Amino acid sequence: MKTKLKGISYSKYGYLFSIPFVVAFLIFTLYPTIYTATLGFTDCRGVLNDNYHFLEHPFENFKEILKNDSFRVSLKNTIGIWIANFIPQISIALLLTAWFTSHSNEIRGKGFFKVVFYMPNIITAATVAILFHSLFNYPVGPVNDILVSTGLRDSSYYFFTSKTASRLIVAFIQFWTWYGNTMIVLISGVLGISPDIYEAAEIDGANGVQTFFRITIPNLKTVLLYTLITSLVGGLNMFDIPFLFLSGGPDRATLTTSVFIYNLAFSGNYIYNRAAAASMLMWLLIAFFSAILFYIMRDKDQIKIDKEIKKAKKEAKRAAKGGVNQWQW
Amino acid sequence: MKKALSVISAIALLASSVAATGCSKKDEATTKDGKTIINLWTFTDEVPGMVKKFMATHPDFAAKYEVKETIIPTTDGNYQPALNKALQAGGKDAPDFFCAEAAFVLKYTQGDMSSYAAPYKDLGIDVDKEIKDADIAQYSVDIGTNPNGDVVGLGYQATGGAFIYRRSVAKAAFGSDDPATVSAKIGGGSGSWDKFFEAAEELKKKGYGIVSGDGDIWHAVENSSEKGWIVDDKLYIDPKREEFLDLSKKLKDNNYHNDTEDWQDAWFADMKGEGDKEVLGFFGPAWLINYTIAKNCGSWVDTGEKDENGDAIQELDTSIGTWGDWAVCEPPIGFFWGGTWLIANKDSTKKDAVGQIIDWITLDCTKDGLQYMWANGTLNGEGGTKDSVASGTVMAMSDGSLDFLGGQNMFDVFVPANQYANGKNLTQHDEKINQKWRGQVRQYTAGNKSREDAIKDFKQEVADELDIH
Repeated sequence: MKTKLKGISYSKYGYLFSIPFVVAFLIFTLYPTIYTATLGFTDCRGVLNDNYHFLEHPFENFKEILKNDSFRVSLKNTIGIWIANFIPQISIALLLTAWFTSHSNEIRGKGFFKVVFYMPNIITAATVAILFHSLFNYPVGPVNDILVSTGLRDSSYYFFTSKTASRLIVAFIQFWTWYGNTMIVLISGVLGISPDIYEAAEIDGANGVQTFFRITIPNLKTVLLYTLITSLVGGLNMFDIPFLFLSGGPDRATLTTSVFIYNLAFSGNYIYNRAAAASMLMWLLIAFFSAILFYIMRDKDQIKIDKEIKKAKKEAKRAAKGGVNQWQW
Repeated sequence: MKKALSVISAIALLASSVAATGCSKKDEATTKDGKTIINLWTFTDEVPGMVKKFMATHPDFAAKYEVKETIIPTTDGNYQPALNKALQAGGKDAPDFFCAEAAFVLKYTQGDMSSYAAPYKDLGIDVDKEIKDADIAQYSVDIGTNPNGDVVGLGYQATGGAFIYRRSVAKAAFGSDDPATVSAKIGGGSGSWDKFFEAAEELKKKGYGIVSGDGDIWHAVENSSEKGWIVDDKLYIDPKREEFLDLSKKLKDNNYHNDTEDWQDAWFADMKGEGDKEVLGFFGPAWLINYTIAKNCGSWVDTGEKDENGDAIQELDTSIGTWGDWAVCEPPIGFFWGGTWLIANKDSTKKDAVGQIIDWITLDCTKDGLQYMWANGTLNGEGGTKDSVASGTVMAMSDGSLDFLGGQNMFDVFVPANQYANGKNLTQHDEKINQKWRGQVRQYTAGNKSREDAIKDFKQEVADELDIH
């Protein structure tokens, strides 16, 4: 009996099968992360430098980065562009989710629309960047042609010298490529909510709006938190579109922190140490913002219940221990 | 049994993940039929085309070697980072030789990456004698010489610039399309822009622009300046380059151009004569005529057929477009623009073979060498595009008459222009710094900021990203 039980233990195969992942993770994720973190404290710069040392003042690179005007500009841009893309993105995605999952009025061709809305996400960033670049081209381009021929403007508008226009276009591209993805995630979240609740609401006479705000949204909280955090992390690491579209221009208007870090490290003077320091600062920032989001979105009711359960358990324990005391009064 | 199976599969998984990390390293790469592979990294299909011709004319060589090219365009600034990584990584896929453009060649011949460049003499080339025999343009040699005084890179073109103009526009505005007349009108060889702007005013009255965009005069300004962007490790704005702010503003405020950006659709449209208003011309070297203006002159018609690469075959129709309506004359300010240098990797194990190709492209001044074919447009048979080349010996035996220029011999203008080219005002960060400078100039001319702010922000950007103060 004993030996047989031993044979059934499959746990070692679990370890065995996870080895490839662990090895790949150690080599391709953990090691580079630690390497980057340490580089930030060294004097490593120059394309062929493998002879570098730790600095006397370990935080010099971090100080330099915080003083760096372009870094500050890029941080503002990154956050600005992310907010300008996320607010419309989540609003439109929620609206579409509400329509697609509505129990009262079924929409025909749902699958078709889902595919269509998701489509921009499949196109590669390089293609999208080129597409929008030619759309808004100056002095001749489709958008300018429309503006002039409809009489909205007398002459062509130079979109790519205007900081606001360039930022808005980048934010729009981000919104346009990601709202479909967000929508799919939200829809799957809604489909996970028990139909019983909706049925109950229907019987109680709740209308569509009430159902959406009183049932869908509260039950979607965890999915919303997931969307918010992945979007935040993705947004603060935004690289491809700003880099490919106008490579950070005009006048640093679409320079995001990732583009700045890339420029610092790989396309100029190879200032690896400061780029590493900037990366670590971004890491801290993202971790900080994520923590705040987790705190704000925490399930207050669940925490209350947990506390009460704990309290009750404690009381029960105390009661069990000093059972006699209870009868003292 | 089960246990053995699972162990085997786990090992297989492990092995595949290890293999994916590229732990295996072999120095000599060969094709299936036993030919040795030579890796070439470049940014256009120009040099690969030459190599193909070399293979065709050297069957013994082709029997032993095969050249595998990696082409990454420079347009998004992706070529250099990729090339650097490939050079650093080494191994069998590392480039054996590669191309570098004027905007960044110094990085690979004299700057940060110069330690990867093999001296030509190590490739089995008798470089000093051959440079003398071929009479290679001095700036090309200067740029390709490393700090130890060894030649590590040479180009095949000479890229001295001229003013390339539309004959019909010149005739309508100035009454003559003769190069001497046009040159006098725009102040050819005067070293100043005064006459040029007088001509611009004259053209404007007749409804023409003088150039397509400010980028057209930028190259003339950039390469005519005395010093480069960096002097003694500090950022230096040459007075001539600073003056570009005013020149650009003047062009825009007076509507002397179509306000295009170089390499954008609107710029190409001006070559067809289809912009907002017709423009007189462009500043550029011979390659701009043959590879850019001639291809975008609007006289090419699709035949509907495709060649073996799937590209549309086109036919010339001179009744449309601007073919034949062009000529070249001396520019107000001498300059040069662009050029490609060939550099061999010092870690290459096939130095001799690489040396043979490089020698044929950059130094062979006989009629069988690349430069002769390049200058006379016979690389792919008679009637190809002609270009001005680095070897003076070859230029002396070549004929630069072009139908595209209405029969004008362009070498009459380009050979003297090549003397203006100098390799002393370049730095390894030119590509990056130019991009930032042009961006700020555009902000100033668009009226978004003052002249002082544009210069201040330019300095700030360079300091922030390149740590050059």
